[in-house]
Amino acid sequence: MSRYSSLAVLGTALLALSAACRFEPPRPILRYSLNSKEIAKNADMAGNSAHQEHLLGALEFLFGTPQHPNFLVLPDWTDEEPEFDPNYWSLDGLSEAEKAAMRASNARAYAGQIAAIRAGDFDSVEKPRYADDLWEDWLRLVEERRANPGADRNWIEEGAELFESYYPELTVSAELYRQQCFHCHGSEGGGDGSTSQFLDPLPRDYRPGIFKFTAEQNKAHPRNADLFRILKEGIYTTAMPSFRRFTDAQLHGLTDYVKLLSIRGETEILMIADYDPYAGIQPETLIENYRLVVDRWRNAANDFFAYEGEIPESTPERVAHGRDLYTSEQGANCVKCHGATGRGDGESVKNNPKDAIDEWGNPILPRDLTRGVFRLGRRPIDLYRRVYAGINGTPMPAHFGMQITEKDGTKRMLDENDVWDLVFFVRSLSARSPRAEPAHPAQEHP
Amino acid sequence: MTTTALEAKPLGIDPPGTVHTHHEHHELGFIRKYIFSTDHKVIGLQFLFTGLVMLLFGGLMAMGIRWQLAFPWTEMPVLGKVLFPETGGVVTPEGYTMLFTMHGTLMVFFVIIPLLTGTFGNFLIPLMLGAPDMAFPRLNMLGYWFWWPGIFLILLSFGAEGGGPAAGWTSYPPLSTVASAAPGSLTGQNFWLLSLTFVGVSSMMGAVNYVTTIVKMRAPGMTFFRMPLSIWGLMIAALLQLFALPVLTAAGFMQLFDRVFHSGFFTPADTIVNSASPEAIGAAAGGHPLLWQHLFWFYSHPAVYILVIPAMGFVSDIISVHARKPIFGYKPMAYSMSAIAGLGFVVWGHHMFMSGMNPSVGLVFMTATIMIALPSAVKVFNWLGTLWGARIHINTAMLFACAFVAMFIIGGLSGIWMASTPPDIYIHDTYLIVAHFHYVVFAGSVMAIFGALHHWFPKMFGRMMNEKLGIIHFVGTFVFTNGVFYMMHQLGLAGLMRRTADPYAYEVYARLQPMNQFISYCAFGLLFWQIFFVINFFGSLFFGKRVGRNPWKACSLEWEAPSPPGHGNFDRQIVVHHGPYEYGVPGAPEDYVPQTQKLPSGVGAH
Amino acid sequence: MQALKHFLLRAFFTLLFLAVPVLGVWTFVKAPAWHVWFPENVSSYGGEIDRLFWLITYMVTVVFLITEGLLIYFFFRYSRRDSSRALYTHGHHTLEMVWTAIPAILLLVVAFSQMGTWAKIKIDLPEDSPYSAAHPMMEVYGSQFDWRARYPDREGNFQGEDVIETPYDIYVPVDTKVVFLLRSRDVLHSFFVPAFRLKQDAVPGMEIPMWFEATKVGDYDLVCAELCGWGHYKMAGKVHVLPGEDYEAWLEGQRNALYSNGSED
Repeated sequence: MSRYSSLAVLGTALLALSAACRFEPPRPILRYSLNSKEIAKNADMAGNSAHQEHLLGALEFLFGTPQHPNFLVLPDWTDEEPEFDPNYWSLDGLSEAEKAAMRASNARAYAGQIAAIRAGDFDSVEKPRYADDLWEDWLRLVEERRANPGADRNWIEEGAELFESYYPELTVSAELYRQQCFHCHGSEGGGDGSTSQFLDPLPRDYRPGIFKFTAEQNKAHPRNADLFRILKEGIYTTAMPSFRRFTDAQLHGLTDYVKLLSIRGETEILMIADYDPYAGIQPETLIENYRLVVDRWRNAANDFFAYEGEIPESTPERVAHGRDLYTSEQGANCVKCHGATGRGDGESVKNNPKDAIDEWGNPILPRDLTRGVFRLGRRPIDLYRRVYAGINGTPMPAHFGMQITEKDGTKRMLDENDVWDLVFFVRSLSARSPRAEPAHPAQEHP
Repeated sequence: MTTTALEAKPLGIDPPGTVHTHHEHHELGFIRKYIFSTDHKVIGLQFLFTGLVMLLFGGLMAMGIRWQLAFPWTEMPVLGKVLFPETGGVVTPEGYTMLFTMHGTLMVFFVIIPLLTGTFGNFLIPLMLGAPDMAFPRLNMLGYWFWWPGIFLILLSFGAEGGGPAAGWTSYPPLSTVASAAPGSLTGQNFWLLSLTFVGVSSMMGAVNYVTTIVKMRAPGMTFFRMPLSIWGLMIAALLQLFALPVLTAAGFMQLFDRVFHSGFFTPADTIVNSASPEAIGAAAGGHPLLWQHLFWFYSHPAVYILVIPAMGFVSDIISVHARKPIFGYKPMAYSMSAIAGLGFVVWGHHMFMSGMNPSVGLVFMTATIMIALPSAVKVFNWLGTLWGARIHINTAMLFACAFVAMFIIGGLSGIWMASTPPDIYIHDTYLIVAHFHYVVFAGSVMAIFGALHHWFPKMFGRMMNEKLGIIHFVGTFVFTNGVFYMMHQLGLAGLMRRTADPYAYEVYARLQPMNQFISYCAFGLLFWQIFFVINFFGSLFFGKRVGRNPWKACSLEWEAPSPPGHGNFDRQIVVHHGPYEYGVPGAPEDYVPQTQKLPSGVGAH
Repeated sequence: MQALKHFLLRAFFTLLFLAVPVLGVWTFVKAPAWHVWFPENVSSYGGEIDRLFWLITYMVTVVFLITEGLLIYFFFRYSRRDSSRALYTHGHHTLEMVWTAIPAILLLVVAFSQMGTWAKIKIDLPEDSPYSAAHPMMEVYGSQFDWRARYPDREGNFQGEDVIETPYDIYVPVDTKVVFLLRSRDVLHSFFVPAFRLKQDAVPGMEIPMWFEATKVGDYDLVCAELCGWGHYKMAGKVHVLPGEDYEAWLEGQRNALYSNGSED
């Protein structure tokens, strides 16, 4: 009888198998937690879990949960013209060119689905990955079409438009973040995911609201386009890859979610600093801080800067002048940190410990300029921006407008031409250097 | 005996075939009898039980891999919260690399080699040769106990800073040598290297013992060509270990020095890993990653033949017994196993066709690798020849042995695809490779192990395993194994890469999730189904039907001894008259003639 | 009754073993319909690789069906209850010679017939290409966990300020024999474009020249095919094959974009 019993058992197992094919395992439920470094700074908060729970609840009120993130929309934002809804932040702020690029990107990514729709073959449209809300909208459309066959609607155009104009909701972006970003950047964007401890440099901690890689001056917050650019380009020589495998819409959606995490983090820091143990969390303070942080982000574009007109060309004289500024103590004094040969071994690192820590509290060294690796971009304009406005969060200061003394003793302020001269000099340090990356290997292919 | 003591015992123990009729030794205590025993049978069983536990661990790693591939970034049940608490039970990317590294390492070094060579090698060699024990019983014991530090270290590596080793079981540098390259390369990799050193020492001790025993301690009349093919398989595997393992040990030390002393054997100059400068990682000297690959594969390719040749030997024996027919082509079988092993030393480069090695060398390796299919094919034909005209008894052991042949055909034929260098451009590091080696090692060797356990269980424990449970176990294992690994051929054709935690974001792999889910379900079913084996095996230890010496009516010498054999194995004089496959002999009173009995006159056999 | 039970037993296991070749062939036939199949080949030598693959597949399938078939047939035929003894034979010398010699010849033929293709793809670089190992069209640079394509400046240098570097996207012209160098910054990676049937490990410390000729405009996935760390699974890229003029226009646009004044950022 054993073979028959084994058949029976096997049959049951296979039946279970086919039923299980519909099985969708649950996604983990994560909760935001608090910024423990900040908590530790406030004696009233630290060690008082009731207070911490209170704060968590307040932040949840403003920002939702990792599964259902949501910006609280303040009433005066709805009154604005046009209405400001941070839940659709990037979408509302896209330029025409960006919108067109987004549509083109969607058209490429969903080419298969769009082709099937245009051929009228609604049944063979495949579910796209990381776009649950799009899929639900599509299924709804299919259902409507099925229920109203005679309706005067161009189903094909509507269907194609769904895919071409797709922009993810914050919830969907949050899920994409969980799958692609969370293991490095962590649940709250604290740069403390499981993988982060093995990385050098550490992933960005969004919570202080400081971002290095921007096209901004005056230590302003990044614009959407800055965050978008990082996702598109990656940051070479770090573990941050380029995410061009996703559509523009998905990347814009991710920037929305990153903004949410960052704004949450900044609000949290302000609330912890303002915390009054007797009064507790005050709704007015909460909303005030929230509005403050959001406004910083809304005003970011004001500090965007580029160069007017065509950028100048490098000449040997300009490079020489750049070298003078670099090396002179009364000039830009780059030598102090970057060293006489540009290898980042200046004495300030040894003498002044504050020059060796960044604003997130991690050790940092001045860039070895001979390597030719510039994480914020290697175009001349990128270097121009760095020298001009400094690098947010690091000891690299803004140089535009600083007081310099020429060799002949005249005092003046560092101007744009000086910045360009420094840029040309810095580029020359790596242009022909044997230390420049990527170095050609000693061994050749046999 | 009237000879002097020295001549009588050249090896310090009684010559083969000696009859032990009186107790020369004092009664051993429990520790010396069952724990630090020098009796080859006890050591064989120690390898068995430890190996089965390691099989469970390796299988659990595989379940983690299959879960992630079926349902990426979701909560893994049971193990998820234990292994990955910070993500809510979701496999982390670095955790995934650790899972497949440990799966491969455990399975190759801690399961298959110990179960095949450690268990059956130890148990069967003296018995099949008519010897009272191994040539070096104390070395044998040391061989088992040297394995334990290896086990200890590899299990400890899970808790190392950065987690377990995560550079693949192949441990290619610079990923494995540079601490900043992978979390597992912080300290876990050191444990891996040390662990494998101990495993290697243990294997070497065993290999020396096996070869010596086989060469020197055969019973009178037992020529080389009268040994069962199991012994041939074990001897060839032992020779492979002897010649190849030192290379791995040396390479392991080189990698350890690279990691600890920054010696730079394998790290090229100017390598910058995860912002660690070349100077910090020992890259200043200028090594070459390909050196590791050559050294590693020089051992690991013969190692895969160690994983399969003993199984081939066992399968030959099992088929012959249960088909009641001599092995077809005994000498070709023995020669082809030797040819596989010999050729196996000159094909290691087929793992490196894409590695950056000089492609002209690839042509040589391609030819040699394709030619290895020849002796393997000859073996398959001979097994078919054995079944032809046979009188097959259907039982669990026979089913597993026939399944080995069926699965080995698939595994061996798929090897021809990847031996061919132009197709290998596409196939290398895809799931076609995974399908191939799992067919030969799991669907092949592990099935042979199950069959061998059913077949030799009566000899080991004096009881039979339950046939009903055995058949249930076989059917489910067979079905689920094919469900898991056959589909991997398809995935390989689609170009799905190995070792990829979430392949579906690539457009080219976007539609592969349903098939991966099917495979995962079959894998979970396969793991679950082993319950039947566990119940059968452990239940039969205590409740199995008791049997005498030779329940299968088999010819080879081990069935002459009591079940289980006592100390010294045989209770009568052993003299061998012919080969071990005299089944269906015309004119004989029964349908088998044991090796210790003469054949009827007029029948010639070697 | 006993006879029936035994027959059913034999039949059951015979069918179980038979299911393997039957289902095995069936899954191969159905696989394209399940979308689990080779991506379309768009490279000039990919066709040769596919042809060799299929040659081996047909040969292997024939052997597979014959051997499995014999195994299953013998299992069924010779498991019937029979009180007589099995055929007493230890082998057949001539048969052994035959079934050693024929496969040996077949296998050697298989081996030698592939050498030309291998040499063409991996050993030699095409002579009729505008590019060569000394003057490659680009360098592809793998690092943890990104692919970068580096195009030389106008003078053909790969060092210097005007080198174009693009992450993830690699642009090549169609119908051109592209020669490029494959490099790695840190650990082993592997450049694998399934649609081109192209794969090569990127070894730190080596510059490996490779070539291919894409025959169809489109975008094709690039995946990393050698374990390079925890991010191995996300080390993606896209090879964009463009018509010749579009490629030139793109490259020109990249050169100009280097000197942008940042107002478009």
